[in-house]
Amino acid sequence: MIDLQGVSKYFGKVTAVDNLTVTFLNGMVSVIIGPSGCGKTTVLKMVNRLIEPDGGMISIDGIPVDTYNPVELRRNIGYVIQEIGLFPHYTVYGNIAVVPRMLGWDAARIHRRVMELMELINLDETYCGKYPAQLSGGERQRVGLARALAADPEILIMDEPFGSIDPINRLALQDTLLAIQDIIRKTIVFVTHDINEAIKVGDRIAVMDRGTLVQHGTPEDILSNPINAFVEVLLGHDRSVKALSLKKAMEFIERDGFITVTHDISRARRDEILVKSPAGVAFLLDGDQRLSGRFNRKKKPDGTYVIVEDSEPEYIEKSANLNETLSKMLETGERILPVLSAKGEFLGVVTLNNLFSEVSRASSD
Amino acid sequence: MDVVVFIIEQKSRIALLLMQHLYLFFISMLIALIIGISVALLITRPGGERRGRLILSLTAAAQSVPPVAVIAVVFIFVGVGGLPSIIALVLYSLVPIIFNTTSGLLSVPYDVIEAARGTGFTNRQILLRVKMPLSTRVIMAGIRSAATINIGTATVASFIGGGGLGDLIFMGIKLYRTDMILAGALLVAILAVLVDGILKRLEERIIPVGLRCLHGEGASG
Repeated sequence: MIDLQGVSKYFGKVTAVDNLTVTFLNGMVSVIIGPSGCGKTTVLKMVNRLIEPDGGMISIDGIPVDTYNPVELRRNIGYVIQEIGLFPHYTVYGNIAVVPRMLGWDAARIHRRVMELMELINLDETYCGKYPAQLSGGERQRVGLARALAADPEILIMDEPFGSIDPINRLALQDTLLAIQDIIRKTIVFVTHDINEAIKVGDRIAVMDRGTLVQHGTPEDILSNPINAFVEVLLGHDRSVKALSLKKAMEFIERDGFITVTHDISRARRDEILVKSPAGVAFLLDGDQRLSGRFNRKKKPDGTYVIVEDSEPEYIEKSANLNETLSKMLETGERILPVLSAKGEFLGVVTLNNLFSEVSRASSD
Repeated sequence: MDVVVFIIEQKSRIALLLMQHLYLFFISMLIALIIGISVALLITRPGGERRGRLILSLTAAAQSVPPVAVIAVVFIFVGVGGLPSIIALVLYSLVPIIFNTTSGLLSVPYDVIEAARGTGFTNRQILLRVKMPLSTRVIMAGIRSAATINIGTATVASFIGGGGLGDLIFMGIKLYRTDMILAGALLVAILAVLVDGILKRLEERIIPVGLRCLHGEGASG
């Protein structure tokens, strides 16, 4: 737990951080967001004492940071910064091994750790001997993350780590970070000015403006209850759409309103049921509850029905968020999509009507 | 061909002058290196960036002072002989060493230094493991140009009784002996090229692999 109590910092006449009190919880990704000059980077650098506060106290798990030797403190806090920040004269291996070497680990242990981290950041072993100049921006940033994690610090501070990466690779890096965080469960303080990034990676979001804390809470809290106009502007006009990415399709699953059939049903019987059913959709399941087909009822101009079979039906995984689910519906033109578990088991459906009422409810808030 | 004949005939005398020249060169370079690098390190200590830039402008201006002027000034204050020659050479070689070492150390990207500090490098480790290796190329360029200038300037040291190959040239001028002048000039030039070649080799060895034009290979962007 990183605890800031009444912390202030002045640069000459400029107040960078103004009597700030905030707590970053253990094992969570706490995002600090705000416009440039709001003091977010200063807060970060005060945690590892690259900047000393002019007032107040910062403590980690109850121990004030100024009781540590700054060099020792920094070796125990992983640090990832925006620009590349890798040592250009060290190989990928050398960069990752920097802190373990300073801590005096033996060579075998360093080797094990570097290999472990290479796997974690999903870089091939052949990258060990490469130099930063030979890597892409995304690869460098992943190596930067591995370097920060090398000595297995409990705390990781990240200063706009993906700020200089193009939008597509940035999304991939965010996914990588979240996947890694799922395994390592570190206390991460992450500074960004990108609200979408904050919503995506943050367990908690601290909104800062002019050196003060404006609002602090879960992404849901902040999206649904922006405390003032400043936060509202920061969130943008489409905050109800942004909120969709926080909800999982699983929360809107329906278990009725459709029919499931198995392979042993006769065609005539199946068609008969489908014609009568209100939704006009049937899903074909095999013996292990896996989805293997879909039947749609279509109305012909003469008022009679025809049954269309789709042997490779579209579906969504249960971890998909509402944003992804809506996109899929728009892409495929299906108003009802089956939801499958990671193993492919049929769990139920989500319907456009249901999602739509959720979206309109969120917008009217 | 007169030159070659002259050199062969006078080889023992020329060998002595060559040794004198090398002596002036080595001693003055050694002192200039120690003083120059120390000064550069001192003025580029953390927080001293502004001071460093001031020194850069001063040394850049100092580079325009001709060697004869430096030798003349030293002659006025210290007199004649080997010691004044060495002092003059040290002063003259200091300029490129301080200039390049300072600008090299100041040119190390800020984010790399910040990353090093944030990762828990001490100031000393930042200097030895990050700043120095990353500015090797610029520092070595300064040392090489100091060495070349030093060998050339050592010729003028003959003016104030420092000896060396300059003796051949100035005596040749007095005696209207073209072969003598050419022999002196030729040997000084060869010496300068040799020393520069050796330092270039050294530079290639100590520049960190990661900085040797890797940009074309592997993944880009």
